[in-house]
Amino acid sequence: MTAVVTPNGFSLDTSGKRVVVDPVTRIEGHMRCEVNLDADNVIRNAVSTGTMWRGLEVILKGRDPRDAWAFVQRICGVCTGTHALTSVRAVEDALGIAIPENANSIRNIMQLSLQVHDHLVHFYHLHALDWVNPITALAADPKATSELQQTVSPHHPNSSPGYFRDIQSRLRKFVESGQLGPFKNGYWTNPAYVLPPEANLMAVTHYLEALDFQREIMTVRTIFGGKDTHPNWLVGGVPCAINMDGPMAAGAPINMERLDYVSSIVDRTITFVNDVYIPDIIAIGGFYKGWLYGGGLSGKSVLAYGCIPDKANDYSPANLMMPSGAIVDGKLQEVFPVDLRDPGQVQEFVPHSWYKYPDETKGLHPWDGITEPNYVLGAGAKGTSTAIEQIDENAKYSWIKAPRWRGHAMEVGPLARYVVGYAKGDPHIKEQVDRTLATLGVPLEALFSTLGRTAARALEAQWAAEKQRYFLDKLIANIKAGDSATANTAKFDPKTWPKEVKGVGFSEAPRGALAHWIRIRDTRIENYQCVVPTTWNGSPRDNQGNIGAFEAALMNTKVARAEEPVEILRTLHSFDPCLACSTH
Amino acid sequence: MTVETFYQVMRRQGITRRSFTKFCSLTAAALGLSPAHAQQIATAMETKPRLPVLWLHGLECTCCSESFIRSAHPLAKDVILSMISLDYDDTIMAAAGHQAESIIDETIAKYNGNYILACEGNPPLNQEGMSCIIGGRPYLEQLRKAAANCKAIISWGSCASWGCVQAARPNPTQATPIHKVPGLAPKPIIKVPGCPPIAEVMTAVVAYIVTFERFPELDAQGRPKMFYSQRIHDKCYRRPHFDAGQFVEAFDDEGARRGYCLYKVGCKGPTTYNACSTVRWNGGLSFPIQAGHPCIGCSEDGFWDKGDFYNRLSRIHGFGIEATADEIGGTAALAVGGLAAVHAGISAVKRAREKTGADQ
Amino acid sequence: MAMHAPQQEMQSAVYVYEAPVRIWHWINALAIVVLCVTGYFIGSPPPSVGGEASDHYLFGTIRFAHFVAAYALIIGFLFRIYWAWAGNDHAREIFLPPLARGSFWREILHEIRWYAMIEKAPKRYAGHNPLAIISMHILFVWLAVFMIVTGLALYGEGTGPGSWQHRFFSDWVIPLFGQSQTVHTWHHLGLWVIVCFVIVHIYAAVREDIMSGQSIISSMFSGWRTFRVVKGERAEP
Ligand code: HEM
Ligand code: HEM
Ligand code: NFV
Ligand code: SF4
Ligand code: SF4
Ligand code: F3S
Ligand SMILES: [Mg+2]
Repeated sequence: MTAVVTPNGFSLDTSGKRVVVDPVTRIEGHMRCEVNLDADNVIRNAVSTGTMWRGLEVILKGRDPRDAWAFVQRICGVCTGTHALTSVRAVEDALGIAIPENANSIRNIMQLSLQVHDHLVHFYHLHALDWVNPITALAADPKATSELQQTVSPHHPNSSPGYFRDIQSRLRKFVESGQLGPFKNGYWTNPAYVLPPEANLMAVTHYLEALDFQREIMTVRTIFGGKDTHPNWLVGGVPCAINMDGPMAAGAPINMERLDYVSSIVDRTITFVNDVYIPDIIAIGGFYKGWLYGGGLSGKSVLAYGCIPDKANDYSPANLMMPSGAIVDGKLQEVFPVDLRDPGQVQEFVPHSWYKYPDETKGLHPWDGITEPNYVLGAGAKGTSTAIEQIDENAKYSWIKAPRWRGHAMEVGPLARYVVGYAKGDPHIKEQVDRTLATLGVPLEALFSTLGRTAARALEAQWAAEKQRYFLDKLIANIKAGDSATANTAKFDPKTWPKEVKGVGFSEAPRGALAHWIRIRDTRIENYQCVVPTTWNGSPRDNQGNIGAFEAALMNTKVARAEEPVEILRTLHSFDPCLACSTH
Repeated sequence: MTVETFYQVMRRQGITRRSFTKFCSLTAAALGLSPAHAQQIATAMETKPRLPVLWLHGLECTCCSESFIRSAHPLAKDVILSMISLDYDDTIMAAAGHQAESIIDETIAKYNGNYILACEGNPPLNQEGMSCIIGGRPYLEQLRKAAANCKAIISWGSCASWGCVQAARPNPTQATPIHKVPGLAPKPIIKVPGCPPIAEVMTAVVAYIVTFERFPELDAQGRPKMFYSQRIHDKCYRRPHFDAGQFVEAFDDEGARRGYCLYKVGCKGPTTYNACSTVRWNGGLSFPIQAGHPCIGCSEDGFWDKGDFYNRLSRIHGFGIEATADEIGGTAALAVGGLAAVHAGISAVKRAREKTGADQ
Repeated sequence: MAMHAPQQEMQSAVYVYEAPVRIWHWINALAIVVLCVTGYFIGSPPPSVGGEASDHYLFGTIRFAHFVAAYALIIGFLFRIYWAWAGNDHAREIFLPPLARGSFWREILHEIRWYAMIEKAPKRYAGHNPLAIISMHILFVWLAVFMIVTGLALYGEGTGPGSWQHRFFSDWVIPLFGQSQTVHTWHHLGLWVIVCFVIVHIYAAVREDIMSGQSIISSMFSGWRTFRVVKGERAEP
């Protein structure tokens, strides 16, 4: 077969050897990936398949819109909360409900704590093993590791040689027990791993430290939402009433003790990110800065909706602390505004997805979206319908729909947000990016890569950790000024609702731009459609043949060993794929 | 050497005798046992190898895993490094593709009948089972294979235990809870429901099995009695307000600020079996009601279809209509009352006519 | 046993409801009224009272009244079952409707036609009329069993595992329904079935009293059924 060039500029050639990775692990949910390698083991065609579907959009029909947050929150437990937030916003938009300032601050703190938590857990527990080899950590000199630690992060208290020696011996005994657990069958002899043993030992140590610490980050949401994961939300505000010194304040959801708890966690979160996460990114990035594959769509087409409203109820770009806008065809000079109500902007296509539309040559705006399953394999597939050996990407091949912005396949996520923010001249983003590039001694182009994606995520975690403090201070100042309202219940009763309304809610989820579109008729949900970050990034091809962000990022990557394609994992993981989200 | 005791592993991993003892007493406390049992736990752990576990993922949101790693005592790190051998878990394992899949066969070969199968999520039966694909095949196949040779199954969360959100009406994928999966080997199933379950409940169930070398006692529905034999309501700290008749009437009203009972805004605590009001969440920090939201009954079978969350009365489905018992019953009573009134009217007229007839 | 009042005894009276049945009837009626009112409030509580929890026990009292009435109902019902065995023939009527007897069904049809005002003349029975028997059997006896079983299953949730209510009721009833909330819903629906029964029951009692030529309401006080001739009646039954 000869090469075809996609409208978005990628040259696909299926002539080489087909390599299958199924399941792709260390992601949320289930995913399959197939690539064609040429004679030099370079990826010339990439196919990513979302391999699960639950039908939340079907299940939501006919339900109470005030309950929708709880259903959609269960789209994903990893980015738990972001769907719930997006949902209450969609319902509030439809019904014209304005939430109190305190509710806005609390929601922002919860969302920011998710950003930090999700990014941190992703890096250490889902992504790090693509760069870090825990087995060679056994060969490290604890003293040298201690020196490395003190160089990259002079403030982190856990840095003595004895500390690293203890961890190393714990690790050694673990390995020697023969029960390797989650580390079993890793590609530990693959030459793609380049870290020296000391860096590996430091990173593995932080893998464990981060595993311990991540549970504390999320306790902020336990305070405001009652539990984590899957905290509680409310249309019209937040359910946690505030009572500082009124009668029975001790029995109130939020009182002084609770705020102090949040405050202490916020401080420790900021410290951990600054002393551990960021230094590790710089240190590991330093060793891999020659490996700049994986840019994919990031230098071409990126999309962000923006999030974290400073003032309540104002979702205009100027009031959003995370940037919004769309860049297409690599023209960084021009950032387009995004209008989620415009039927011509966001549309979903299904000619390569396991769904049915009356007319599959056209896309549908989510307010008119349809979700009807249709599992069929193409004629070119190998194997049977229940034992797939090879996917046929020319036909339907994924449970993910293909969302497009004005017809363009877009990348979303921390890197997309940082590219949009950088292009718009957002000062904090410019400062963070420039400083990081300078520290690593790489040009701006290095940003458009797998490594850039991983670095942007860390920078965003750092920003988000600090912004929690901003909103906590704001919350306290507002209470001090005499306002302790947390919910607007004027329109909570469905009897007050118009017969027919529609709305859209959006947020920046950890993995990127997220929006939910809702139609309400006679107080029940008539249609509910979610277009999720991993729907964008993991999208299959569309009616024009454009490939999505995962597939684009894999293109032209050289693989060291075809049998152990750690490079594929590396690049896919840099998006932090969430398949439960993508198909919902 | 593969057969290493829990204590040896802990010691070798640099854990002191003192912190090991402390760990044992914390575990005892988490299990609701007296301090005297701590010694029993310590003895048990000193003589045991790490328990092999295959943790499979079906249709789910992965929140059960997320909850698990939030355990405060024991820490998830210590469970994974020292208590169990988590040989397969596609969410965190290093291996991928066929290198990952081969681990299942290796575990079956090595520990036939001796490993625990931990199920998160559930398999779909519609779409040829292909709305959940692993290794190009239906998840159902992986599940059946791993179940056939395991010692027992743990059904994590409401997905594995009951079906949960994807099985909510109309269940488009026919997602099926583990105990109802057709063709599954008959193994003991321990249900640990909750959406997700409390982290410390999850780790305590594991710790109990490792410690006492037996499975916890289960109730009639297959849940460990130690955590699921009481309702949220039975130990809810807002219960005095319930008895007093002090309710939150609307969110953020004076009652909400005083921590009154959430019954009238839909609390399902009186019908929900879980440990939230006792063990609480995230190291005992809070639980939904403490943060002002009614319990939505997330550990109960089919809680998604028991009516709107902010209404205490369920919606009843049938004949294309949906209404609460009061709406249905009230309408019926009105209808019956109306019929009786009409009937009485007609009877009176008839009687009056007959009277006049008789008088003539 | 339903039986036709012999024509010649037209003006005389039959002793139908023995004292225990009458006393039970009114205690039972009172218990059910209390159960319905308190049950309704358990489902939809009255407006919140303010202040400290220790100042009030309103909802606790409502529930307590429900449980007291529930036990009155249960004990009364058990007694009534005993009396069905110990008492006179009429005491058995609502428990053992003669379903196998053809004339029973014809009489039911007649009663339906009488209520539909197709039939000109009523038939008289010393005990309940057959339609009353069948509706009381289904809508009272079995419904009472249903409410008692589901009620005790709910009660057992409070008394907890180990209690007799839990062991004999909650343990199997809740899994049978799937979960507790569903038991509540069905128990709650039972309230409305009872309400419908009571409406019809009282209406029928009053109407029959006026129109069927036999004493009805006073019978439930005195125990005696008396008869008189009403319009449209033929001399022969
Ligand atoms: C005519 C008979 C009865 C009627 C009409 C009745 C009615 C009701 C109603 C409407 C509810 C509220 C259900 C809900 O929406 O949650 C209720 C609850 C309850 N009933 Fe009954 N009931 C009857 C008999 C009984 C009996 C015999 C018992 C036995 C002990 C009982 C025990 C309970 C219990 C324990 C509750 C739950 C209380 C709570 O949730 O706090 N009921 N009843
Ligand atoms: C909650 C309310 C009530 C319930 C559950 C109830 C139930 C019953 C039952 C089960 C019987 C059959 C007795 C037997 O043969 O053992 C009966 C008979 C009777 N009840 Fe009630 N009752 C109620 C209220 C009343 C009231 C308020 C009246 C008076 C207006 C009344 C009048 C009668 C009469 C007259 C009979 C005898 C009917 C006949 O001989 O056909 N009941 N009732
Ligand atoms: N994709 C995605 Fe999510 C995120 N972040 C949702 O909106 O992960 Ni589960
Ligand atoms: S039970 Fe709930 S929390 Fe657990 S995986 Fe299922 S949906 Fe997620
Ligand atoms: S808040 Fe819920 S669980 Fe607590 S007492 Fe009230 S009804 Fe019961
Ligand atoms: S909603 Fe779930 S978390 Fe506990 S309080 Fe209710 S069972
Ligand atoms: Mg969608």
